[in-house]
Amino acid sequence: MKKEAVAMLLAGGQGSRLYALTSHVAKPAVPFGGKYRIIDFPLSNCANSGIDTVGVLTQYKPLELNSYIGSGQSWDLDRSDGGVHILPPYVTEGDAGTWYKGTANAIYQNIGFMDNYDPEYVVILSGDHIYKMDYAKMIELHKQTGADCTISVLEVTTEEASRFGIMNVDADDRIFEFEEKPVVPKSNLASMGIYVFSWATLRKYLIDDEADPTSNNDFGKNIIPNLLADDKLLMAYRFSGYWKDVGTIDSLWDANMDMLASHGGIDLYDSSWPIYTHSPIRPPHYAGPTSVISHSIVADGSFISGTVENSVLFNSVTVEEGANVAYSILMPGAVVKKGATISYSIIAENSVIEANATVGSDPCEDPNWGIAVVAGGLTVGENAIVAPSAMIREDVKGGERV
Amino acid sequence: MNNLHGLIMAYRSNNNLGALTQHRNTSSLPVFGRYRLIDFMLSNYVNAGISDVGILVHESYQSLLDHIGTGKDWDLSRKRGGLRILPPFGGNSGEYRGSLEALNNVRSYLAQIRQDYIITSWGDFAMNLDVAAIYEQHINTGADVTMVCSDINRGDSLDVDFIQMDETGRVTDIAVRPPAPVEGHPSLEVYVLSKKLLLEMLDNCIAHGQYSINRHVIAANIHKMDIRAYVHTGYAARPLSIGGYFSRSMELLDPATQLDLFNPNRPIRTKDMSYPPTYYGPESRSVNSLISDGCFLEGTVENSILSRDVIVEVGAKVENCILMQGTVIHAGASISHVITDKKVTICSNCMLAGHPTYPLVIAKGSSV
Repeated sequence: MKKEAVAMLLAGGQGSRLYALTSHVAKPAVPFGGKYRIIDFPLSNCANSGIDTVGVLTQYKPLELNSYIGSGQSWDLDRSDGGVHILPPYVTEGDAGTWYKGTANAIYQNIGFMDNYDPEYVVILSGDHIYKMDYAKMIELHKQTGADCTISVLEVTTEEASRFGIMNVDADDRIFEFEEKPVVPKSNLASMGIYVFSWATLRKYLIDDEADPTSNNDFGKNIIPNLLADDKLLMAYRFSGYWKDVGTIDSLWDANMDMLASHGGIDLYDSSWPIYTHSPIRPPHYAGPTSVISHSIVADGSFISGTVENSVLFNSVTVEEGANVAYSILMPGAVVKKGATISYSIIAENSVIEANATVGSDPCEDPNWGIAVVAGGLTVGENAIVAPSAMIREDVKGGERV
Repeated sequence: MNNLHGLIMAYRSNNNLGALTQHRNTSSLPVFGRYRLIDFMLSNYVNAGISDVGILVHESYQSLLDHIGTGKDWDLSRKRGGLRILPPFGGNSGEYRGSLEALNNVRSYLAQIRQDYIITSWGDFAMNLDVAAIYEQHINTGADVTMVCSDINRGDSLDVDFIQMDETGRVTDIAVRPPAPVEGHPSLEVYVLSKKLLLEMLDNCIAHGQYSINRHVIAANIHKMDIRAYVHTGYAARPLSIGGYFSRSMELLDPATQLDLFNPNRPIRTKDMSYPPTYYGPESRSVNSLISDGCFLEGTVENSILSRDVIVEVGAKVENCILMQGTVIHAGASISHVITDKKVTICSNCMLAGHPTYPLVIAKGSSV
């Protein structure tokens, strides 16, 4: 059936800058904020914006992501017409078809999927941002201006601007130039990687782009510059509110800590724009007689007897008596045993920190200081010491220093 | 377990629960932070692989329907079978005198179910029952009826049946609702029997103006039929009074009891609300408490059970309380031994205290 708008969510990137956290899962499936996974944000935004047809383009380590999305029921996206669809690359007649070569190629390979719904507009999303946004408003602007492409932009500081793709606009917010990470930015409007295209236009550009052997098949590098070169109408949609890229360990840690800020973080308690998630049903968490919990977030099923400060704890986490957790993120099922100390660290799913072990440290003068990360399913032995900025991918023996 | 059909009686309410059951029947009473009582039997059935469940309701079941929905949170939203809500199918619309009358009102449903065996229970018991083991025992012993009892006689006398059994597990006597506590195992009012036998008993009893399973089926046939007991060891509670609801809830502050009732191998499922995790402010202090997702805590919480979406502001103190969904305790308020129903607001600097045996109940939606 015809749809006015279909969303395509690019979830196939390796997320290699998240290192050990993406050794088993695709970046969009990385846990976030005590209860969520990164992909909950764009999927919930779609559901709340009234977009009921979403293609999720996966290719890198998709198993956990696929099973997480399931039928889409958790986001009310299990629909008889439309709903959420997992779209991996596939082979067609005569061994045609390849891995997704780039963001634009991923959409190109799914032109058939799009044509099923014959949409007027397509919303291109990525799976590595934390934000709440009404895509319907952006589509509305796109319609009003009669644009070929609308790109959502965020005002950033001039210092930050050189880390982003910057949109240079005229007085009417028409984009006349796009600069990737400019040394001397001409504006402070950063692209958020969210695009609305008129499907007929995008379809033509995708086909032309595919025919160009020199192309990187990428939206930012190819499609957008090509549209600009042809003098197409590209509009900027100004977004204000919380938006955070969580593509690196530091930014992921930062965004989690933002949840503890009373102002300026993302408001997840706003019932008019719920962020849906699929989490296991666990009993309420138990704050034991010896627990000290302050300025933290704790999810169902956790069992806290130690001290937890300025931290984000997911479901089913155990912090034993005498253990100290500060400025850290403990993902589902993490266990911190008696007397262990965790500071400025990320402990991934089901990893166990044995008694009196130390992971990470408070910030110090050392230029190599950083967030320590323990990947999922590992054990850090008794009295072991994991240095700040360590990236632990294998068990650490008792007493060992790494 | 595809040969066992689950039935849950969810129509009784209890006057002794006062304001807590004013707008809902006991089966949809909120418990242990994030659950409703009916979650336990529903989950017990699902954990045993039961795929078809009928829930018998009579009145005040709007809140129950709201909670259960299509049954998808228990994987009971199925193309074939799954969850069925069973209001009276016309005819008698007065209050049910007993469970046989309730069953007779849905007789056409019972006659067409695809399983040979039926397990019936009440939706107002909180317990983690190994239903698969009960069924297995029923089949292995070849009993006519298997009934479940508790191994702990707490000396409650109100609204409880007590059974005696011999060393082989055969039930030799049942005291139905005795006025004072008696010796024996308290019945948990769970019965397993064949569909054929149930329908026979139903027709026979109704023809004789009889309406009660425990009185007219069990007690009346104790020597004629092979009635056996399955002894459940572990937590089992049915709130019979406000004091009982309070004290039996507070037992869950013991980690061993939590592990028993929320056995990870037989998880208790409930409606998934996608609340964010709970936020603890810089000044907050919480000890010995069960706290659900979606709370915003800036004050002090001790020895309490908090449901989802509870706010405790700076300087507020909550001790020995049960706070249901949407409760707001404003700054500086201090409450102890209080049960707040849903969406209750306690204003700034207000002080409220109940007694451990007689906790203060604040009715749904009230502002103090």
